[in-house]
Amino acid sequence: MAGTDPIHQFHLQKWIPLELGGYDVSFTNSSAFMVATVVAAAGLLYFSTAGRSLIPGRLQSVSEIAYEFVANMLRDSAGTSGMKFFPFVFSLFMFVLVANLFGMFPYFFTITSHLIVTVALALLVMAVVVGYGFYKNGLGFLKLFVPSGVPGALVPIVVIIEVISFLSRPISLSIRLFANMLAGHITLKVFAGFVVTLSGMGALGIGGSLLPLAMTVALTGLEFLVAFLQAYVFTVLTCMYLNDAIHPGH
Amino acid sequence: MDAEAAKYIGAGIACLGMGGVGIGLGTMFGNFLAGALRNPSAADGQFSRLIFGFAVTEALGIFSLLVALLLLFVV
Amino acid sequence: MATGKRPDKPAPSGRDGGPEDRFKDPALDKRRDQLADAIAAKQAERKLEAAKSDVNKSDGMAGMAYALKLSSEFIAGILVGIALGWLLDRVAGTSPWGIIIFLFLGFTAGVLNVLRSAGLIAVSKSERGSDYKPSPKDSTPPGNAWPDDKEDE
Repeated sequence: MAGTDPIHQFHLQKWIPLELGGYDVSFTNSSAFMVATVVAAAGLLYFSTAGRSLIPGRLQSVSEIAYEFVANMLRDSAGTSGMKFFPFVFSLFMFVLVANLFGMFPYFFTITSHLIVTVALALLVMAVVVGYGFYKNGLGFLKLFVPSGVPGALVPIVVIIEVISFLSRPISLSIRLFANMLAGHITLKVFAGFVVTLSGMGALGIGGSLLPLAMTVALTGLEFLVAFLQAYVFTVLTCMYLNDAIHPGH
Repeated sequence: MDAEAAKYIGAGIACLGMGGVGIGLGTMFGNFLAGALRNPSAADGQFSRLIFGFAVTEALGIFSLLVALLLLFVV
Repeated sequence: MATGKRPDKPAPSGRDGGPEDRFKDPALDKRRDQLADAIAAKQAERKLEAAKSDVNKSDGMAGMAYALKLSSEFIAGILVGIALGWLLDRVAGTSPWGIIIFLFLGFTAGVLNVLRSAGLIAVSKSERGSDYKPSPKDSTPPGNAWPDDKEDE
């Protein structure tokens, strides 16, 4: 059975094969779950705030907490002038969070466990940071790469190091999210596979399979934490990078 | 032996140096942890020295990575 | 959610005074202010604590996330250095010096990244305003943070 292959869950399946100008733009299960993620996040926020009651109910509390959480995060790290990026940051947070949590459903596809998805998200963040930085500060944005108080002779080296450090951000941002989700789901699957294999080995095996079963249950809880934590980390770093675009000279 | 094959074997051997760095880093972090558990209040202040030691040790590992990369991409 | 009617029917509060008085009660205002102050103080305290204990979190998951974060920062620096050096070699034909020099620069950038995300460099220019550093600017209330920011407001 394919149930014990830990990599099988990440396979892309073309649901609607399409081709555009020589590129494969098929509607895959990944695309389907991205659409589902967007629909779920937007639907949750829309319907939970539709009542607009003064004293929030459970669902409205969820969306209000999410709103407050992201707003405080952004305000703390990028200042009040960073709040114009709130829609961007909030969409990013909700997308990553809902995508991670969707991955926790059995038989669901985890879109953030594919490097290309997280790289696209990270490059989007970096494009916004660089684009807004140059639009807002002009060439003053380049001051980001020249720390103050560095002796003159060292400036070229320090500038190169800062540039490398800046370029490494999208990589570490995307790899972190991707690696956490991938490793978590593989671990979960491997331990779940132990249960299946062991319980097929008679009475002793069924007794022994209790151990990996307990481990799987514990790991599932851990994975929910990781799903939230990684969405949080992704958003916090986005806020910090946006802060660079808004105040490069500080 | 084919020169191309020798190149890849050389790159693989060069990466063995990273193993030595791994041992060194393990020793270093282990000793830091041992010291930190004896005197936890002093541990935070020494974290920057830990990173310094990490950087100096890891730099040697970077040398072997460099040799491997040179063999793979340059030679 | 069908909670829209709740504000019209407030829970009986056991205090005297009509529904209008309820909102103007000085004692209640005072208590509310005290509560707000206490919450603000607690939050500031918690934030400072979180920034301090970032390094030595003892619960396993947070520690592992922290370690993964640091190592990904380090490796990303080196990877970018290698990529830049390799590109430079290809474009400018300076092989093998581009990859050698940029690997070491990338290593330095990686260590710098690690130091930054560990919060050890207090005045790292490009991450000022992050919640790692309890600098005076960060501890101002959010409403008037960045008082020197005149471009927008």
